[in-house]
Amino acid sequence: MALPTSYIPRDSIIHKLDPRIKLVIIVCITLLVFITTKFLPIGILFFSLLVLWKISGIPLKRILSYLRVLVFLFLLLIIMQAVFYPGEKVLLEPLIPEAVPLVGGKGNITLEGVLFGLLLCLRVLTLMCIFPVLLATTTLEKITLAMVKLGLPYRVAFTATTAINQLPVLQSEAGVIMDAQKLRGFMVFETGRFLSKIKALHVLVVPLVMGSMRRASMMGIAMDSRAFGAFKKRTFVDEINIERRDRIALAVFSLFTGVILFFSF
Amino acid sequence: MGYEIVKLESVCYSYPRNKDHVLYNINLSVKKGEFIVIIGENGSGKTTLCKCLNGIIPHSERGRFRGRVLIDSMDTRSAYLSEIAKKVGIVLEDPESQLFTTTVFNEVAFGPENLNLPVEEIKATVKWVLEAVGLKGLENRSPATLSGGQKQRLALASVLAMKPAVMVLDEPTSQLDPLGTEEFFSIIEELKGRFGMTIIMATHKTDEVLPLADRICVLHRGRILACDKPEIVFSTVDLLEKIKIPVPTCFSLSNYLKDKGGLNINSFATPEEAEEEIRVLLNHQEKY
Repeated sequence: MALPTSYIPRDSIIHKLDPRIKLVIIVCITLLVFITTKFLPIGILFFSLLVLWKISGIPLKRILSYLRVLVFLFLLLIIMQAVFYPGEKVLLEPLIPEAVPLVGGKGNITLEGVLFGLLLCLRVLTLMCIFPVLLATTTLEKITLAMVKLGLPYRVAFTATTAINQLPVLQSEAGVIMDAQKLRGFMVFETGRFLSKIKALHVLVVPLVMGSMRRASMMGIAMDSRAFGAFKKRTFVDEINIERRDRIALAVFSLFTGVILFFSF
Repeated sequence: MGYEIVKLESVCYSYPRNKDHVLYNINLSVKKGEFIVIIGENGSGKTTLCKCLNGIIPHSERGRFRGRVLIDSMDTRSAYLSEIAKKVGIVLEDPESQLFTTTVFNEVAFGPENLNLPVEEIKATVKWVLEAVGLKGLENRSPATLSGGQKQRLALASVLAMKPAVMVLDEPTSQLDPLGTEEFFSIIEELKGRFGMTIIMATHKTDEVLPLADRICVLHRGRILACDKPEIVFSTVDLLEKIKIPVPTCFSLSNYLKDKGGLNINSFATPEEAEEEIRVLLNHQEKY
Protein backbone atom coordinates (compact mmCIF):
# COMPACT_ATOMS: atom_id res chain seq x y z
CA MET A 1 0.00 0.00 0.00
CA ALA A 2 1.28 3.43 -0.86
CA LEU A 3 1.65 5.67 2.13
CA PRO A 4 0.23 9.20 2.01
CA THR A 5 3.84 10.37 2.17
CA SER A 6 5.07 8.69 -0.98
CA TYR A 7 6.25 10.65 -4.00
CA ILE A 8 4.23 10.28 -7.19
CA PRO A 9 6.38 10.89 -10.26
CA ARG A 10 4.32 13.10 -12.59
CA ASP A 11 4.85 16.19 -14.63
CA SER A 12 2.10 18.41 -13.24
CA ILE A 13 2.33 22.17 -12.70
CA ILE A 14 2.49 21.53 -8.95
CA HIS A 15 5.46 19.20 -9.42
CA LYS A 16 7.23 21.99 -11.26
CA LEU A 17 6.69 24.65 -8.61
CA ASP A 18 9.64 25.62 -6.44
CA PRO A 19 9.50 23.59 -3.21
CA ARG A 20 10.06 26.76 -1.18
CA ILE A 21 6.84 28.22 -2.57
CA LYS A 22 5.07 24.95 -1.84
CA LEU A 23 6.39 24.94 1.73
CA VAL A 24 5.21 28.50 2.30
CA ILE A 25 1.78 27.79 0.82
CA ILE A 26 1.38 24.67 2.92
CA VAL A 27 2.31 26.42 6.14
CA CYS A 28 -0.16 29.20 5.29
CA ILE A 29 -2.99 26.77 4.54
CA THR A 30 -2.34 25.04 7.87
CA LEU A 31 -2.55 28.38 9.67
CA LEU A 32 -5.77 29.22 7.80
CA VAL A 33 -7.36 25.97 8.95
CA PHE A 34 -6.54 26.89 12.53
CA ILE A 35 -7.81 30.47 12.18
CA THR A 36 -11.15 29.82 10.50
CA THR A 37 -14.11 28.63 12.54
CA LYS A 38 -16.82 28.73 9.89
CA PHE A 39 -18.15 26.13 7.53
CA LEU A 40 -17.88 28.11 4.30
CA PRO A 41 -14.14 28.98 4.36
CA ILE A 42 -13.18 25.49 5.61
CA GLY A 43 -15.35 24.01 2.89
CA ILE A 44 -13.61 26.16 0.28
CA LEU A 45 -10.20 25.15 1.66
CA PHE A 46 -11.13 21.46 1.62
CA PHE A 47 -12.49 21.65 -1.90
CA SER A 48 -9.43 23.55 -3.17
CA LEU A 49 -7.13 20.94 -1.64
CA LEU A 50 -9.06 18.23 -3.46
CA VAL A 51 -8.53 20.17 -6.69
CA LEU A 52 -4.79 20.33 -5.92
CA TRP A 53 -4.84 16.57 -5.27
CA LYS A 54 -6.49 15.98 -8.64
CA ILE A 55 -3.89 18.14 -10.41
CA SER A 56 -0.98 16.46 -8.61
CA GLY A 57 -2.28 13.03 -9.56
CA ILE A 58 -3.01 11.82 -6.03
CA PRO A 59 -5.88 9.33 -6.14
CA LEU A 60 -8.89 10.86 -4.36
CA LYS A 61 -9.72 7.39 -3.02
CA ARG A 62 -7.08 7.97 -0.38
CA ILE A 63 -9.53 10.16 1.50
CA LEU A 64 -11.57 7.03 2.17
CA SER A 65 -8.60 5.35 3.83
CA TYR A 66 -8.14 8.46 6.00
CA LEU A 67 -11.80 8.29 6.97
CA ARG A 68 -11.46 4.63 7.91
CA VAL A 69 -8.65 5.49 10.33
CA LEU A 70 -10.34 8.59 11.69
CA VAL A 71 -13.89 7.35 12.05
CA PHE A 72 -13.55 6.66 15.80
CA LEU A 73 -12.02 10.06 16.45
CA PHE A 74 -14.77 11.72 14.45
CA LEU A 75 -17.56 9.91 16.29
CA LEU A 76 -15.99 10.86 19.61
CA LEU A 77 -15.61 14.49 18.52
CA ILE A 78 -19.23 14.78 17.39
CA ILE A 79 -20.63 13.10 20.50
CA MET A 80 -18.50 15.15 22.88
CA GLN A 81 -19.34 18.41 21.16
CA ALA A 82 -23.01 17.49 20.87
CA VAL A 83 -23.25 16.89 24.60
CA PHE A 84 -21.06 19.60 26.00
CA TYR A 85 -21.28 22.48 23.50
CA PRO A 86 -23.56 25.20 24.84
CA GLY A 87 -26.47 25.68 22.45
CA GLU A 88 -30.08 26.78 22.12
CA LYS A 89 -31.78 24.38 19.73
CA VAL A 90 -32.21 21.18 21.71
CA LEU A 91 -32.47 18.07 19.59
CA LEU A 92 -32.59 15.53 22.40
CA GLU A 93 -33.62 15.89 26.04
CA PRO A 94 -31.00 15.67 28.80
CA LEU A 95 -29.15 12.39 28.91
CA ILE A 96 -28.77 12.59 32.66
CA PRO A 97 -32.04 12.71 34.66
CA GLU A 98 -32.79 15.78 36.84
CA ALA A 99 -32.69 13.63 39.96
CA VAL A 100 -28.93 13.08 39.79
CA PRO A 101 -27.22 15.64 42.02
CA LEU A 102 -24.74 18.17 40.56
CA VAL A 103 -24.81 16.98 36.94
CA GLY A 104 -28.57 16.42 36.72
CA GLY A 105 -30.23 18.01 33.71
CA LYS A 106 -26.95 18.46 31.82
CA GLY A 107 -26.15 16.83 28.54
CA ASN A 108 -28.62 18.31 26.13
CA ILE A 109 -27.79 17.35 22.61
CA THR A 110 -27.97 20.60 20.70
CA LEU A 111 -27.95 21.38 17.00
CA GLU A 112 -25.10 23.83 17.52
CA GLY A 113 -23.07 21.12 19.24
CA VAL A 114 -23.55 18.62 16.43
CA LEU A 115 -22.65 21.25 13.84
CA PHE A 116 -19.57 22.28 15.78
CA GLY A 117 -18.51 18.64 16.02
CA LEU A 118 -18.93 18.24 12.27
CA LEU A 119 -16.91 21.41 11.71
CA LEU A 120 -14.07 20.05 13.85
CA CYS A 121 -14.11 16.82 11.86
CA LEU A 122 -13.91 18.73 8.59
CA ARG A 123 -10.99 20.75 9.94
CA VAL A 124 -9.10 17.61 10.94
CA LEU A 125 -9.77 16.07 7.54
CA THR A 126 -8.62 19.24 5.79
CA LEU A 127 -5.41 19.24 7.83
CA MET A 128 -4.78 15.65 6.78
CA CYS A 129 -5.16 16.60 3.13
CA ILE A 130 -2.50 19.32 3.19
CA PHE A 131 0.79 17.45 3.42
CA PRO A 132 0.25 14.93 0.62
CA VAL A 133 0.19 17.88 -1.80
CA LEU A 134 3.82 18.64 -0.93
CA LEU A 135 5.07 15.08 -0.45
CA ALA A 136 3.47 13.60 -3.56
CA THR A 137 4.84 16.29 -5.82
CA THR A 138 8.33 16.92 -4.43
CA THR A 139 11.25 14.54 -3.92
CA LEU A 140 12.60 14.54 -0.38
CA GLU A 141 15.96 15.74 -1.64
CA LYS A 142 14.30 18.84 -3.04
CA ILE A 143 12.41 19.43 0.21
CA THR A 144 15.72 19.17 2.07
CA LEU A 145 17.27 21.66 -0.30
CA ALA A 146 14.30 24.01 0.08
CA MET A 147 14.61 23.87 3.88
CA VAL A 148 18.33 24.60 3.65
CA LYS A 149 17.69 27.54 1.32
CA LEU A 150 15.08 28.83 3.76
CA GLY A 151 17.83 28.93 6.39
CA LEU A 152 17.55 25.62 8.24
CA PRO A 153 20.83 23.81 9.01
CA TYR A 154 21.41 20.88 6.64
CA ARG A 155 21.55 18.37 9.49
CA VAL A 156 18.10 19.36 10.72
CA ALA A 157 16.59 19.34 7.24
CA PHE A 158 18.16 15.97 6.45
CA THR A 159 16.88 14.47 9.70
CA ALA A 160 13.34 15.68 9.03
CA THR A 161 13.14 14.35 5.47
CA THR A 162 14.89 11.09 6.30
CA ALA A 163 12.33 10.44 9.03
CA ILE A 164 9.61 10.77 6.40
CA ASN A 165 11.58 8.54 4.06
CA GLN A 166 11.84 5.82 6.70
CA LEU A 167 8.07 5.55 7.23
CA PRO A 168 7.49 3.02 4.43
CA VAL A 169 10.47 1.01 5.68
CA LEU A 170 8.92 0.91 9.14
CA GLN A 171 5.60 -0.10 7.67
CA SER A 172 7.03 -2.99 5.69
CA GLU A 173 9.06 -4.10 8.70
CA ALA A 174 5.91 -4.18 10.81
CA GLY A 175 4.33 -6.37 8.13
CA VAL A 176 7.28 -8.75 8.19
CA ILE A 177 7.20 -9.03 11.98
CA MET A 178 3.46 -9.72 12.00
CA ASP A 179 3.84 -12.36 9.29
CA ALA A 180 6.69 -14.00 11.17
CA GLN A 181 4.55 -14.19 14.29
CA LYS A 182 1.54 -15.53 12.39
CA LEU A 183 3.74 -18.22 10.88
CA ARG A 184 4.76 -19.29 14.35
CA GLY A 185 1.16 -19.73 15.37
CA PHE A 186 0.38 -16.35 16.91
CA MET A 187 -3.31 -15.96 16.09
CA VAL A 188 -4.28 -12.65 17.70
CA PHE A 189 -3.47 -10.39 14.73
CA GLU A 190 -5.67 -12.52 12.48
CA THR A 191 -8.58 -13.66 14.57
CA GLY A 192 -8.40 -11.64 17.77
CA ARG A 193 -10.91 -9.05 18.91
CA PHE A 194 -10.08 -5.36 18.85
CA LEU A 195 -9.11 -5.24 22.53
CA SER A 196 -6.95 -8.35 22.45
CA LYS A 197 -5.24 -6.97 19.35
CA ILE A 198 -4.38 -3.83 21.30
CA LYS A 199 -3.16 -5.92 24.21
CA ALA A 200 -0.95 -7.93 21.85
CA LEU A 201 0.55 -4.81 20.36
CA HIS A 202 3.69 -5.07 22.47
CA VAL A 203 4.84 -8.16 20.58
CA LEU A 204 4.83 -6.00 17.46
CA VAL A 205 6.10 -2.75 18.90
CA VAL A 206 9.08 -4.07 20.85
CA PRO A 207 10.82 -5.78 17.92
CA LEU A 208 9.89 -2.89 15.66
CA VAL A 209 11.48 -0.30 17.95
CA MET A 210 14.55 -2.45 18.58
CA GLY A 211 14.89 -3.05 14.85
CA SER A 212 14.65 0.61 13.96
CA MET A 213 17.20 1.55 16.60
CA ARG A 214 19.63 -0.97 15.15
CA ARG A 215 18.86 0.31 11.67
CA ALA A 216 19.42 3.90 12.78
CA SER A 217 22.84 3.11 14.17
CA MET A 218 23.79 1.22 11.00
CA MET A 219 22.57 4.15 8.95
CA GLY A 220 24.67 6.51 11.04
CA ILE A 221 27.72 4.41 10.27
CA ALA A 222 26.90 4.36 6.57
CA MET A 223 26.43 8.14 6.59
CA ASP A 224 29.71 8.70 8.40
CA SER A 225 31.50 6.51 5.90
CA ARG A 226 30.11 8.69 3.16
CA ALA A 227 31.54 11.85 4.70
CA PHE A 228 28.28 13.26 6.08
CA GLY A 229 29.09 16.68 7.48
CA ALA A 230 32.71 16.63 6.30
CA PHE A 231 32.56 20.22 5.09
CA LYS A 232 30.53 23.17 6.25
CA LYS A 233 29.35 23.70 2.71
CA ARG A 234 27.86 20.92 0.68
CA THR A 235 26.97 20.53 -2.98
CA PHE A 236 23.37 19.89 -4.01
CA VAL A 237 22.95 18.19 -7.34
CA ASP A 238 19.29 19.19 -7.45
CA GLU A 239 18.53 22.74 -8.48
CA ILE A 240 15.61 24.87 -7.44
CA ASN A 241 14.86 28.27 -8.89
CA ILE A 242 12.02 30.67 -8.35
CA GLU A 243 10.57 31.38 -11.78
CA ARG A 244 7.66 33.25 -13.24
CA ARG A 245 5.15 30.49 -12.56
CA ASP A 246 6.21 30.48 -8.89
CA ARG A 247 5.51 34.19 -8.61
CA ILE A 248 2.13 33.74 -10.29
CA ALA A 249 1.32 30.84 -7.95
CA LEU A 250 2.20 32.98 -4.96
CA ALA A 251 0.03 35.85 -6.23
CA VAL A 252 -2.93 33.55 -6.85
CA PHE A 253 -2.50 32.04 -3.40
CA SER A 254 -2.38 35.48 -1.73
CA LEU A 255 -5.67 36.34 -3.40
CA PHE A 256 -7.10 33.00 -2.25
CA THR A 257 -5.96 33.70 1.32
CA GLY A 258 -7.71 37.06 1.15
CA VAL A 259 -10.98 35.39 0.09
CA ILE A 260 -10.74 32.82 2.89
CA LEU A 261 -10.01 35.50 5.49
CA PHE A 262 -12.91 37.59 4.14
CA PHE A 263 -15.34 34.71 4.71
CA SER A 264 -13.80 33.83 8.08
CA PHE A 265 -14.59 37.02 9.93
CA MET B 1 52.91 -1.55 -5.69
CA GLY B 2 53.69 1.45 -3.62
CA TYR B 3 53.99 2.48 -0.05
CA GLU B 4 52.08 1.09 2.90
CA ILE B 5 48.70 2.81 2.79
CA VAL B 6 47.04 0.85 5.61
CA LYS B 7 48.91 -0.23 8.68
CA LEU B 8 47.52 -1.99 11.75
CA GLU B 9 49.81 -2.13 14.77
CA SER B 10 48.96 -4.64 17.49
CA VAL B 11 45.26 -3.89 17.33
CA CYS B 12 43.17 -5.48 20.08
CA TYR B 13 39.46 -4.96 20.46
CA SER B 14 36.68 -6.27 22.63
CA TYR B 15 33.03 -5.25 22.53
CA PRO B 16 31.47 -3.52 25.55
CA ARG B 17 30.29 -5.78 28.39
CA ASN B 18 32.33 -8.67 27.02
CA LYS B 19 35.89 -9.32 28.07
CA ASP B 20 36.72 -11.71 25.24
CA HIS B 21 38.90 -10.22 22.56
CA VAL B 22 37.22 -10.10 19.18
CA LEU B 23 40.50 -9.02 17.65
CA TYR B 24 43.76 -9.92 19.29
CA ASN B 25 47.11 -8.42 18.40
CA ILE B 26 46.44 -7.82 14.73
CA ASN B 27 49.43 -6.64 12.74
CA LEU B 28 48.86 -6.06 9.08
CA SER B 29 50.19 -3.69 6.50
CA VAL B 30 48.67 -3.23 3.10
CA LYS B 31 50.52 -1.64 0.21
CA LYS B 32 48.88 0.75 -2.20
CA GLY B 33 47.19 -1.15 -5.02
CA GLU B 34 47.14 -4.44 -3.18
CA PHE B 35 44.10 -6.72 -3.04
CA ILE B 36 43.86 -8.42 0.33
CA VAL B 37 41.21 -10.99 1.09
CA ILE B 38 40.23 -11.77 4.66
CA ILE B 39 38.75 -15.20 5.17
CA GLY B 40 37.50 -16.84 8.32
CA GLU B 41 34.45 -18.62 9.66
CA ASN B 42 31.47 -16.70 11.02
CA GLY B 43 32.36 -14.90 14.23
CA SER B 44 36.09 -14.89 13.52
CA GLY B 45 36.21 -11.08 13.60
CA LYS B 46 36.10 -10.23 9.90
CA THR B 47 33.42 -7.56 10.21
CA THR B 48 35.06 -6.10 13.31
CA LEU B 49 38.36 -5.86 11.48
CA CYS B 50 36.66 -4.09 8.56
CA LYS B 51 35.08 -1.61 10.93
CA CYS B 52 38.50 -0.84 12.44
CA LEU B 53 39.83 0.09 9.03
CA ASN B 54 37.69 3.19 8.58
CA GLY B 55 37.43 4.32 12.16
CA ILE B 56 33.87 3.10 12.91
CA ILE B 57 35.77 1.37 15.70
CA PRO B 58 36.66 3.15 17.96
CA HIS B 59 34.58 6.23 16.93
CA SER B 60 31.03 4.91 16.63
CA GLU B 61 31.23 1.61 18.48
CA ARG B 62 32.50 1.66 22.00
CA GLY B 63 34.48 -1.11 23.60
CA ARG B 64 38.13 -1.62 24.48
CA PHE B 65 40.39 -0.66 21.62
CA ARG B 66 44.16 -0.84 21.80
CA GLY B 67 46.87 -0.45 19.20
CA ARG B 68 46.91 1.84 16.19
CA VAL B 69 45.37 1.89 12.76
CA LEU B 70 47.17 4.17 10.34
CA ILE B 71 45.60 5.16 7.04
CA ASP B 72 48.11 6.98 4.90
CA SER B 73 49.99 7.71 8.16
CA MET B 74 46.82 9.26 9.68
CA ASP B 75 45.82 7.74 13.02
CA THR B 76 42.14 6.74 12.93
CA ARG B 77 41.72 7.56 16.61
CA SER B 78 42.52 11.23 16.23
CA ALA B 79 41.01 11.87 12.78
CA TYR B 80 37.34 12.66 12.19
CA LEU B 81 35.27 9.92 10.59
CA SER B 82 34.37 12.20 7.72
CA GLU B 83 38.06 12.80 7.12
CA ILE B 84 38.82 9.09 7.07
CA ALA B 85 35.85 8.65 4.73
CA LYS B 86 37.68 10.62 2.06
CA LYS B 87 40.40 7.96 2.01
CA VAL B 88 38.63 4.76 2.98
CA GLY B 89 35.29 3.67 1.59
CA ILE B 90 33.44 0.83 3.26
CA VAL B 91 30.59 -1.32 1.99
CA LEU B 92 28.89 -3.19 4.80
CA GLU B 93 27.18 -6.53 4.50
CA ASP B 94 23.57 -5.41 4.90
CA PRO B 95 22.78 -3.15 1.95
CA GLU B 96 19.33 -2.07 3.19
CA SER B 97 20.51 0.16 6.00
CA GLN B 98 23.15 1.77 3.81
CA LEU B 99 20.61 3.17 1.39
CA PHE B 100 18.61 6.10 2.66
CA THR B 101 17.71 8.43 -0.18
CA THR B 102 14.75 8.35 -2.57
CA THR B 103 16.42 7.68 -5.91
CA VAL B 104 19.37 5.66 -7.14
CA PHE B 105 20.90 8.82 -8.58
CA ASN B 106 20.70 10.73 -5.30
CA GLU B 107 22.03 7.72 -3.41
CA VAL B 108 25.22 7.69 -5.45
CA ALA B 109 25.49 11.48 -5.41
CA PHE B 110 25.15 11.69 -1.61
CA GLY B 111 28.84 11.05 -0.82
CA PRO B 112 30.34 13.39 -3.44
CA GLU B 113 27.81 16.06 -2.42
CA ASN B 114 29.10 15.86 1.13
CA LEU B 115 32.62 16.29 -0.22
CA ASN B 116 31.46 19.58 -1.72
CA LEU B 117 32.50 18.67 -5.27
CA PRO B 118 31.24 20.71 -8.25
CA VAL B 119 27.83 19.64 -9.63
CA GLU B 120 29.12 18.79 -13.11
CA GLU B 121 31.82 16.54 -11.70
CA ILE B 122 29.30 14.75 -9.47
CA LYS B 123 26.96 14.15 -12.40
CA ALA B 124 29.79 12.70 -14.48
CA THR B 125 30.96 10.51 -11.60
CA VAL B 126 27.46 9.16 -10.93
CA LYS B 127 27.05 8.32 -14.61
CA TRP B 128 30.37 6.50 -14.72
CA VAL B 129 29.86 4.62 -11.46
CA LEU B 130 26.35 3.44 -12.32
CA GLU B 131 27.63 2.20 -15.66
CA ALA B 132 30.50 0.40 -13.96
CA VAL B 133 28.24 -1.52 -11.59
CA GLY B 134 25.58 -2.20 -14.21
CA LEU B 135 22.80 -0.06 -12.82
CA LYS B 136 22.60 2.30 -15.77
CA GLY B 137 19.05 3.32 -16.62
CA LEU B 138 17.78 2.90 -13.06
CA GLU B 139 18.73 6.44 -11.99
CA ASN B 140 15.20 7.46 -11.06
CA ARG B 141 14.16 4.25 -9.34
CA SER B 142 13.75 4.18 -5.59
CA PRO B 143 16.47 2.08 -3.90
CA ALA B 144 13.74 0.33 -1.91
CA THR B 145 12.32 -1.19 -5.10
CA LEU B 146 15.60 -2.80 -6.24
CA SER B 147 16.42 -6.49 -5.87
CA GLY B 148 18.89 -7.69 -3.22
CA GLY B 149 21.71 -7.96 -5.70
CA GLN B 150 21.02 -4.55 -7.20
CA LYS B 151 20.99 -3.05 -3.71
CA GLN B 152 24.40 -4.53 -2.98
CA ARG B 153 25.76 -3.14 -6.23
CA LEU B 154 24.20 0.23 -5.44
CA ALA B 155 25.86 0.22 -2.01
CA LEU B 156 29.18 -0.40 -3.77
CA ALA B 157 28.46 2.33 -6.31
CA SER B 158 27.61 4.89 -3.66
CA VAL B 159 30.95 4.35 -1.95
CA LEU B 160 32.84 4.09 -5.22
CA ALA B 161 31.54 7.51 -6.25
CA MET B 162 33.69 9.08 -3.54
CA LYS B 163 36.77 7.62 -5.26
CA PRO B 164 38.44 6.42 -2.07
CA ALA B 165 42.05 5.25 -2.21
CA VAL B 166 41.18 2.22 -0.11
CA MET B 167 38.02 0.19 -0.51
CA VAL B 168 36.88 -2.05 2.34
CA LEU B 169 34.24 -4.61 1.43
CA ASP B 170 32.54 -6.72 4.08
CA GLU B 171 31.01 -9.76 2.40
CA PRO B 172 29.76 -7.67 -0.49
CA THR B 173 28.41 -10.63 -2.45
CA SER B 174 26.43 -12.33 0.31
CA GLN B 175 23.10 -11.66 -1.41
CA LEU B 176 24.21 -12.25 -4.99
CA ASP B 177 23.57 -15.35 -7.06
CA PRO B 178 26.57 -17.05 -8.74
CA LEU B 179 26.22 -14.97 -11.90
CA GLY B 180 25.87 -11.74 -9.89
CA THR B 181 28.91 -12.71 -7.84
CA GLU B 182 30.90 -13.23 -11.01
CA GLU B 183 29.83 -9.81 -12.31
CA PHE B 184 30.70 -8.22 -9.00
CA PHE B 185 34.19 -9.66 -9.04
CA SER B 186 34.73 -8.46 -12.59
CA ILE B 187 33.92 -4.93 -11.34
CA ILE B 188 36.46 -5.41 -8.57
CA GLU B 189 39.02 -6.67 -11.08
CA GLU B 190 38.52 -3.53 -13.14
CA LEU B 191 38.92 -1.30 -10.09
CA LYS B 192 42.13 -3.02 -9.19
CA GLY B 193 43.54 -3.17 -12.70
CA ARG B 194 42.46 0.16 -14.14
CA PHE B 195 42.52 2.41 -11.12
CA GLY B 196 45.05 0.72 -8.90
CA MET B 197 42.61 0.86 -6.00
CA THR B 198 43.64 -0.79 -2.77
CA ILE B 199 41.00 -3.35 -1.87
CA ILE B 200 40.46 -5.20 1.38
CA MET B 201 37.62 -7.70 1.19
CA ALA B 202 36.14 -10.07 3.73
CA THR B 203 34.40 -12.98 2.05
CA HIS B 204 33.55 -16.67 2.15
CA LYS B 205 33.79 -17.11 -1.59
CA THR B 206 37.36 -18.35 -1.93
CA ASP B 207 36.92 -19.76 -5.44
CA GLU B 208 36.11 -16.38 -6.94
CA VAL B 209 38.79 -14.34 -5.18
CA LEU B 210 41.58 -16.79 -5.87
CA PRO B 211 42.68 -15.40 -9.25
CA LEU B 212 42.44 -11.79 -8.05
CA ALA B 213 43.87 -11.74 -4.55
CA ASP B 214 47.44 -10.68 -3.90
CA ARG B 215 47.35 -12.00 -0.37
CA ILE B 216 44.96 -14.06 1.70
CA CYS B 217 44.62 -13.37 5.41
CA VAL B 218 43.20 -16.17 7.51
CA LEU B 219 41.43 -14.89 10.58
CA HIS B 220 40.52 -17.31 13.33
CA ARG B 221 39.08 -16.30 16.69
CA GLY B 222 40.40 -12.77 16.27
CA ARG B 223 43.94 -13.70 15.35
CA ILE B 224 45.66 -13.73 12.00
CA LEU B 225 46.81 -17.30 11.44
CA ALA B 226 48.37 -16.72 8.07
CA CYS B 227 48.72 -13.87 5.63
CA ASP B 228 50.45 -14.78 2.42
CA LYS B 229 50.08 -15.47 -1.29
CA PRO B 230 47.01 -17.60 -2.12
CA GLU B 231 49.09 -20.57 -3.31
CA ILE B 232 50.89 -20.72 -0.01
CA VAL B 233 47.88 -20.16 2.23
CA PHE B 234 45.63 -22.64 0.44
CA SER B 235 48.26 -25.36 0.34
CA THR B 236 47.64 -25.81 4.08
CA VAL B 237 44.34 -27.51 3.25
CA ASP B 238 44.12 -29.58 6.44
CA LEU B 239 44.49 -26.58 8.70
CA LEU B 240 41.93 -24.58 6.76
CA GLU B 241 39.41 -27.41 6.79
CA LYS B 242 39.89 -27.76 10.52
CA ILE B 243 38.90 -24.13 11.07
CA LYS B 244 36.01 -24.48 8.60
CA ILE B 245 37.28 -22.32 5.80
CA PRO B 246 36.20 -23.43 2.35
CA VAL B 247 39.25 -24.26 0.30
CA PRO B 248 39.02 -23.39 -3.40
CA THR B 249 37.80 -26.41 -5.38
CA CYS B 250 41.03 -26.87 -7.36
CA PHE B 251 43.21 -26.84 -4.26
CA SER B 252 40.96 -29.25 -2.48
CA LEU B 253 40.97 -31.56 -5.49
CA SER B 254 44.74 -31.51 -5.94
CA ASN B 255 45.21 -32.13 -2.27
CA TYR B 256 42.79 -35.05 -2.36
CA LEU B 257 44.52 -36.61 -5.38
CA LYS B 258 47.91 -36.28 -3.72
CA ASP B 259 47.03 -37.41 -0.23
CA LYS B 260 44.19 -39.87 -0.58
CA GLY B 261 44.75 -40.90 -4.19
CA GLY B 262 48.49 -41.22 -3.79
CA LEU B 263 49.16 -39.57 -7.16
CA ASN B 264 52.51 -37.97 -7.76
CA ILE B 265 51.45 -34.52 -9.01
CA ASN B 266 52.15 -30.88 -8.26
CA SER B 267 49.48 -28.77 -6.56
CA PHE B 268 47.25 -26.82 -8.95
CA ALA B 269 45.22 -23.72 -8.35
CA THR B 270 43.29 -23.24 -11.61
CA PRO B 271 41.51 -25.53 -14.08
CA GLU B 272 44.26 -24.76 -16.58
CA GLU B 273 46.96 -25.93 -14.22
CA ALA B 274 44.89 -29.01 -13.44
CA GLU B 275 44.67 -29.84 -17.13
CA GLU B 276 48.43 -29.50 -17.40
CA GLU B 277 49.00 -31.86 -14.50
CA ILE B 278 46.58 -34.43 -15.86
CA ARG B 279 48.31 -34.35 -19.27
CA VAL B 280 51.67 -34.89 -17.63
CA LEU B 281 50.20 -37.79 -15.70
CA LEU B 282 48.64 -39.35 -18.83
CA ASN B 283 51.87 -38.98 -20.83
CA HIS B 284 53.70 -40.60 -18.01
CA GLN B 285 51.32 -43.58 -18.04
CA GLU B 286 51.50 -44.00 -21.83
CA LYS B 287 55.27 -44.30 -21.64
CA TYR B 288 55.06 -47.39 -19.51
